[in-house]
Amino acid sequence: MPVLLASLAKPEIHFAIWLSLVTSVISTVICILIAVPVAYALARYTFPGKRIATLVLTLPLTLPPLVAGIALLLFFGSTPWGKALENFGFAVIFTPLGIVVAQVFVNLPYMIRIMRSSFAAINPRYEHVARTLGCTDTGTFLQVSLPMARHGIIAGTVITWSKAMGEFGAVLMLAGATMMRTETLPIALYLNISTGDVDLAVAAATILIVISLFALCVVEYLDRDAHVF
Amino acid sequence: MLCLQSLAARVGDFCIRDISLEVHEQEYFIIIGPTGAGKTVLLETLAGIHAPESGRIVLDGNDITTLEPRMRNMGMVYQDYMLFPHLTVRENIAFGLRQRGTPAPEREEAVQKTSRQLGISHLLSRYPETLSGGEQQRAALARALVLQPRILLLDEPMSALDSRTRAQISRELLAICRETKTTIIQITHHFEEVHALADRIAIMQEGTVIQTGTPAEVFLHPANVFAAEFLCIGNQIAGISRPQGRIVRVETNGQAFFAASEVTGPVIATLHSEDIIVSREPFASSARNCLAATVVEILPAGTTVRVIMDAGFFLTAALTRESCRDLDLEPGSRVYATFKASAVHLIATRPE
Repeated sequence: MPVLLASLAKPEIHFAIWLSLVTSVISTVICILIAVPVAYALARYTFPGKRIATLVLTLPLTLPPLVAGIALLLFFGSTPWGKALENFGFAVIFTPLGIVVAQVFVNLPYMIRIMRSSFAAINPRYEHVARTLGCTDTGTFLQVSLPMARHGIIAGTVITWSKAMGEFGAVLMLAGATMMRTETLPIALYLNISTGDVDLAVAAATILIVISLFALCVVEYLDRDAHVF
Repeated sequence: MLCLQSLAARVGDFCIRDISLEVHEQEYFIIIGPTGAGKTVLLETLAGIHAPESGRIVLDGNDITTLEPRMRNMGMVYQDYMLFPHLTVRENIAFGLRQRGTPAPEREEAVQKTSRQLGISHLLSRYPETLSGGEQQRAALARALVLQPRILLLDEPMSALDSRTRAQISRELLAICRETKTTIIQITHHFEEVHALADRIAIMQEGTVIQTGTPAEVFLHPANVFAAEFLCIGNQIAGISRPQGRIVRVETNGQAFFAASEVTGPVIATLHSEDIIVSREPFASSARNCLAATVVEILPAGTTVRVIMDAGFFLTAALTRESCRDLDLEPGSRVYATFKASAVHLIATRPE
């Protein structure tokens, strides 16, 4: 136990905690911003290409994170798109920004799926009534659909965040494993176990376990209404 | 006041087509029809939830076909209430007023007034899930009525309630709407509601309106066999109608009876079981039809009994329990069935 506490006090672990927190919070916010409108559209509207859209959005779900990481690396490293982004100052490869990109790519499908089922579970008649009561479409969404789907949103956010905290494969491929630069908690675990520093690795693992337990509790509490799994 | 002109709409597998009807000022208009007839789609299209494929909706001379729901001033109440679960009853009732930007003090006053009218003042701080079905129904009605809608659209609003609560809420609702001069368009499955409430009704079948009229008209003169069956008219007798003097003679299975009608050829005759008088001796009256029959079966049906007789064709009469006892009826009894020619309604059928 004292060894664990000492390890937790080390600057490397501090850096890893800090970097993981910042990147995961940013990537979670991005996921929410994209997932909520996309999920609502998928749950409520029929449009041409809906099946294809669903398939494309679901693909990263079944893709091993390592493969996703390679795909992202090739996309940002060797296409004109990636080059253009880099010229605009969005350097993704082997940078902390890459961590965020990798996390969003891997987690967005989960978020969308959870949100879609939350929206789909709301009887559209609630929205009909709101509209006859004077709501605009936006007003209906903000005052009725969104609050009624709040458990799904919270559960989805917590899952996305905890998965972002623990994301390894895609981050390793795209952002690399540079000590004190792109060293998130899972990367810290990996680097330290590779160099034989078991104490630091255990410290990183402990934090990740605590986060997982927290996420599990929140989801379990909210799952009564949200039906996440 | 409200006029639908060849309205057609499609929502998923449900569609309505070529619906033209008119609803008058302050009328209690009831739409009946079997499940899947498109009643709810019609109501939602009226409210502006679905855009019609063709046709027009005209309210007070203004075309509102493409108007947003929030601009139509129509209240909507569904069978399962649809109270917003994340809001208290007070917030639910005040929801529409908030959208209009009504100041808080006036809002509270309006909520208090409407909830008092519907007897739910004591429930305002509760959440919908803690209320009984009847209370939720009252809250849902209050939420719609507080905006003083031009038209109140009710989608089977009482179906989930027991008959006593249903009758009570119906009565209160009717009183409120008479007072506020609100027009009501309601969907229902309950015939007692039709008789007790409706000024006029429309019958829907497979996405279209097959008949409109006052309940008396429609029950007496159903437009087709489907309407007659759906309205549970006790007797439907197939026969051939031939003119005889100023009325017609309907022949069926070797027997014949008279009907005050101008329809000739193959017909279905409809006759309400309440319109048949059953007696032991030939019944002297002005009624044109008095047929000898044999009782086949006696079925209790609530406060009445249904007596099924064989007069060459089957006839069902509705009798009070007392008259059935006084006549000492049992299967096999010889009786006379008497009914007026004017009680018989004929529907022309095409020969198969």
